[in-house]
Amino acid sequence: MGNNFAMLLDGFQTVFTPTNLMFGLLGTFLGTLVGVLPGIGPALAIGLLLPITLTVNPTSALIMFAAIFYGAMYGGSTTSILLNTPGESGSVITALEGNKMAKAGRAGAALATAAIGSFVAGTIATILLAFGAPVLAEFALTIQPAGYLSLIILAFATVGTLLGASRIRGLIALSMGLVIGLIGADLQSGALRLTFGNLNAIDGIETVTVIVAIFALGETLYLASRHTMVQASVLQMNGKAWMTRQDFKRSWKPWLRGTAIGFPLGVIPAGGSEVPTFLSYGVEKALSKNKDEFGKGAIEGVACPEAANNANAAGVLVPMLALGLPTSATAAVVLVAFQSFNIQPGPMLFQTNPEIVWGLIASLFVGNFLLLVLNLPLIRFWVLLLKIPNHYLYAGITTFALLGAYALNNSTFDLQVALAVGVIGFLFRRFGVPITPLIIGAILGPLSELYFKRALQISQGDWGILVAGTFPKVIYGILIVVIIGPLVWNFKKTFAIKK
Amino acid sequence: MILNKLSKQAKGELAFASSFFLLGLFVAWDTSKMDIPQDNSIVSPQTFPYMVATFASLVGLGLMLDVLRGKLGIPDGNEAGDPYTPLNFKTMGVVAAAIGMHVILLETAGYVLAATVCFWGVAYAFGSRKILKDLLISLIFAVIVYFSFSKGLNINLPSGIFEGIFK
Repeated sequence: MGNNFAMLLDGFQTVFTPTNLMFGLLGTFLGTLVGVLPGIGPALAIGLLLPITLTVNPTSALIMFAAIFYGAMYGGSTTSILLNTPGESGSVITALEGNKMAKAGRAGAALATAAIGSFVAGTIATILLAFGAPVLAEFALTIQPAGYLSLIILAFATVGTLLGASRIRGLIALSMGLVIGLIGADLQSGALRLTFGNLNAIDGIETVTVIVAIFALGETLYLASRHTMVQASVLQMNGKAWMTRQDFKRSWKPWLRGTAIGFPLGVIPAGGSEVPTFLSYGVEKALSKNKDEFGKGAIEGVACPEAANNANAAGVLVPMLALGLPTSATAAVVLVAFQSFNIQPGPMLFQTNPEIVWGLIASLFVGNFLLLVLNLPLIRFWVLLLKIPNHYLYAGITTFALLGAYALNNSTFDLQVALAVGVIGFLFRRFGVPITPLIIGAILGPLSELYFKRALQISQGDWGILVAGTFPKVIYGILIVVIIGPLVWNFKKTFAIKK
Repeated sequence: MILNKLSKQAKGELAFASSFFLLGLFVAWDTSKMDIPQDNSIVSPQTFPYMVATFASLVGLGLMLDVLRGKLGIPDGNEAGDPYTPLNFKTMGVVAAAIGMHVILLETAGYVLAATVCFWGVAYAFGSRKILKDLLISLIFAVIVYFSFSKGLNINLPSGIFEGIFK
């Protein structure tokens, strides 16, 4: 514990060099800039900005990423409140109450409670991350391949079935991701899969290309096909982005409750930021003395979900850093960012690259603070961005996404892949299939095969090893409760109604 | 028989669902004729792909059943119960063409031209009809991106027909 604290201080020392601080500042600015743009969530924002860091040294680049990470989330809440077009699932709830507040002329209070709440939640969650992740990493060293496999299967199941309205559609997305993950040479034997003689496909499909294309190109194709685009009207903001004493009194408890709900649900693979934000909204509604205000612009309905969203995002970083398992689209992009510098997150990370991981954690603190300082005074500037006409906005997103896909390997093959994945993203949106399970499948699919093979090598081919030992048994037990539990519950409910 | 009763939306979704069933079969077929290098590992490189293939086919079948039972997906941005809105494939086609042109032009005509065409095409598809103004904005956007990335960040973008002009 004391050792970790010293490491964290070293991390701050890494961040507080003029160059790194500048990258942090640039990251908060760019992150907010891209996050404010309607239709762009944190995952896409980081994906789009990935090429910028290709030529920067790893430490500075990851510091910039931490700043972009929180910046994009701050930006997203601004868009939800003023434009009612949440860029990602985590901001849907914020839009619900925040937009109503803005319509009632309380945009300033909504933006302030979102910004301060995100700061409070982000700071607490980062502290928990700083002390929780190393502990988890140490424990993770004892996990056998079969245990890892069980964790990945749990992540598949929760991400696949908890997101979106329909379980089967989540699993459809997961299966597509797994197939994408198969493409290329098998890591151990070198056998070629689904490459059709294309030399470019041997190395597999770039994850960044998949992420950028499925969000940016998929969204653009879908919106073009709907062609019911009306320029959403930006709500006027009167006065400053600040809260009254009364607002503050109503906000601080929801901030803390949001943090308490969001962080743990990020650490365990509970399927992204949708569940914690919805849950926290429900909790506030149930606890509130002013229940009639909900749905008409209750400040608690902004404060708690925004805090939950930020705490959740930091929580997701715990398994990402300590186990190398991303369980949200945003964590997946951060993982790719690490990998682009040949750094593999996982239990060994804290030992092999301490300066980088502690630098990253320190810069999460710094970035979060910079945002609080930058965001509220600059809010009028961000609002201007919302006035960019849609046709230029999506033209810019498309062009920039293609640049990101191309810049990775300087190959037009990646662009062809991007177009194909964009069409898949279009079809998914058309038929109500969630996007995140595809990304998780594409990233964790190859990893699950690796652990599967390692486990069977240890046991000399005995499949019994997959459920041997306490750890896998516990995980599969949780899996059964998570998957079968709701089914039984639903069945009982329908049965009761029939009776 | 049953197919006649389905709405246009359900037919589309049925085709989408069955494509996953077929995708599974396809992956299994590709796996079955995989060239396996001399390999003494315990798990064959075919085992995992077969599992993925089975999974894809099964969920494809599951979704087909859901669709036949009338449980249709809710398109993104719609609410449950919203009326079905037919898609405008023309505007979507323009976007796809703009991306396609970018892919073709990039290594032949260079980044600036490819990005200009792509930007302009997407703006057109989204309903902008100020052709000259849009072309100018597209060109400015492309030039700024080209310079900031190739000169500022040392990311190599094809200069194409402008080779030698921008130095």
